[in-house]
Amino acid sequence: MIFRIAWRNIWRSPLRSWVVIVAIAMGVWAVIFLMGFSIGMGNSYVVSAIRLEVSHIQLHHPEYLKDFDVRYYIERADTLAREVAQEAGVRHVSPRTLVHGMVATARGSRALRVRGIDPQAEAAISQLDAKLVEGAYLPQGKRHAIYMGKKLAERLGVRLRSRVVLTFQDIDGHITSAAFRVAGLFDTNNNAFEESTALVRREVLNEILGYTGIAHEVAVLLDDAALADTVAARLQARFPQLDVQTYVQRSPEIRLFESQISTSVYIIMVIVMLGLIFGIINTMLMAVLERVRELGMLMAIGMNRFRIFAMIVLETVMLGVVGTPMGIALGAVMIQWFQIHGLDLSHYAQEGLAEFGISAIIYPDVYPGMYVELAIAVFITAMLGSIYPALKAIHLRPVEALRKI
Amino acid sequence: MLKYNAMIVIKAQGLTKVYNPDTVPVHALRSVDLEVHQGEFTAIVGPSGSGKTTLLNILGGLDRPTAGKVWINGTDISTLSENKLIDFRRDHIGFVFQSYNLIPVLTARENAEFVMLLQKWPRAERLARTEQLLREVGLADKMDYRPSQLSGGQQQRVAVVRALAPKPRFILADEPTANLDSVSTRNLLDIMARLNEEERVTFLFSTHDQRVIERARRVVTLEDGKIVADETFDR
Repeated sequence: MIFRIAWRNIWRSPLRSWVVIVAIAMGVWAVIFLMGFSIGMGNSYVVSAIRLEVSHIQLHHPEYLKDFDVRYYIERADTLAREVAQEAGVRHVSPRTLVHGMVATARGSRALRVRGIDPQAEAAISQLDAKLVEGAYLPQGKRHAIYMGKKLAERLGVRLRSRVVLTFQDIDGHITSAAFRVAGLFDTNNNAFEESTALVRREVLNEILGYTGIAHEVAVLLDDAALADTVAARLQARFPQLDVQTYVQRSPEIRLFESQISTSVYIIMVIVMLGLIFGIINTMLMAVLERVRELGMLMAIGMNRFRIFAMIVLETVMLGVVGTPMGIALGAVMIQWFQIHGLDLSHYAQEGLAEFGISAIIYPDVYPGMYVELAIAVFITAMLGSIYPALKAIHLRPVEALRKI
Repeated sequence: MLKYNAMIVIKAQGLTKVYNPDTVPVHALRSVDLEVHQGEFTAIVGPSGSGKTTLLNILGGLDRPTAGKVWINGTDISTLSENKLIDFRRDHIGFVFQSYNLIPVLTARENAEFVMLLQKWPRAERLARTEQLLREVGLADKMDYRPSQLSGGQQQRVAVVRALAPKPRFILADEPTANLDSVSTRNLLDIMARLNEEERVTFLFSTHDQRVIERARRVVTLEDGKIVADETFDR
């Protein structure tokens, strides 16, 4: 009977109840969107970092990462890459020869990280071929082709077919130079990567270094990032002479960024729920104060304080029960739509986002259980919001309540 | 004529009620003694401010006296906590108020069975009794109507059924006819008198409605918080 009374009571003032229900729905919708947006932005950063920089797993010579010294290379890197590719969970493998040097043009020079790649293998991991905006991605037949970021080209004052000279230390410690021609430009929305990295053919770079078949890094992309620890452990056991690291180990800021996103979404949820709670308290308090005589009558005829408390709490929870699915449905539809079409922020913050390696087109995402967590949060909010009005109701004295006009 | 048996349902001794004792004291009741027996049909009358509503509230456990005691069926209700008083009222006392008797979102049937529901009567018995009583008060075709769809008199009849259905010790009715027209008043009084005869339930009214007073078999007159007259009539 309490359920029946509570349910019917919330429809005594349909407009007021719908205001609260819509407020709850809007709050839930807003939280879903904000959370989805934050997670999407985080995903963009992480995906960009993994694709362009750290992959899911990387293998190096044990000494390489200390100083990025070219002397610490991996021998027979192609054989290693084929063996790694056979591991369960591994989707793509790309061996990379890496040198740190200078790039010089007629206009000037700057530091550069040169990545020697096998174009097809690298494209599978970094998808840099898909980021082409001008020219071609290390075309066949052009051995000394260089593929650089559009931003870097602008800084260097070069364009397609321009000549650049790369200077770096080879494995024997000699300073060596080689000329390359700009064959293609890419745009990744990751300014840090674009301005610091250029790609050449690995076989050409190895020739310049004086060694064949080597690499400084073997990048591994997995079927699922969650497999990173497991696969890394297997690879380390299989190749104990190498240093095998997951993306979290290579780039701890990824985990930091993820946890910051996670913390911020919960803070968003708490703030929205706090706003909701005051709306709920206000509405339910009005509902109680309007029914003082009725509540006095109920206590007079024998409805005890626990039942009255429960009735008020139930009314509030029921408002949440109606509003929450509405908000979840709206939020889910919005997320679905933007997951397909993306949220384009290029008019507002393209450069700023690019500095952090985040795409200007954000694809919101949700994690499993988010909707359940939200429903629980609304339930708790409704319960907490109902406490004060319910306490007000049960502290009424029947004889005084009955006299109210 | 209904003969009173010796059983005392309500016993009040030295009842005193002073409002605002620390500021401007108002003596609503001054040492009132009263006994009400099983089966009585009693009206408490008096001018406005005589203390009749205060007396009824104290006898019904809705208010506490400043001094004195009340026994309901042998239980000293002044010793009960607020929560226990609520349960006691639920189990022993029926109420019919002047207005705002019914729960607006429940039907006549649901209102009538409400106290029985609180007492956890089995469903079949609960429905059978309330439907039978609603038929007896002439509301057979209005059982599924909400209070807003009933007249004042019909609402009061539902309130009487709700008060009576769980078989309380007595029913307290505070100005039950105040908002009714003469036809509704007569109908309501007929019903309550009949139920008093058939169910042997004690009725205690607070009223200044002459139509009620003329139907009561005992009239207790209050003035300035004291009983000034206590008359029994053979009707």
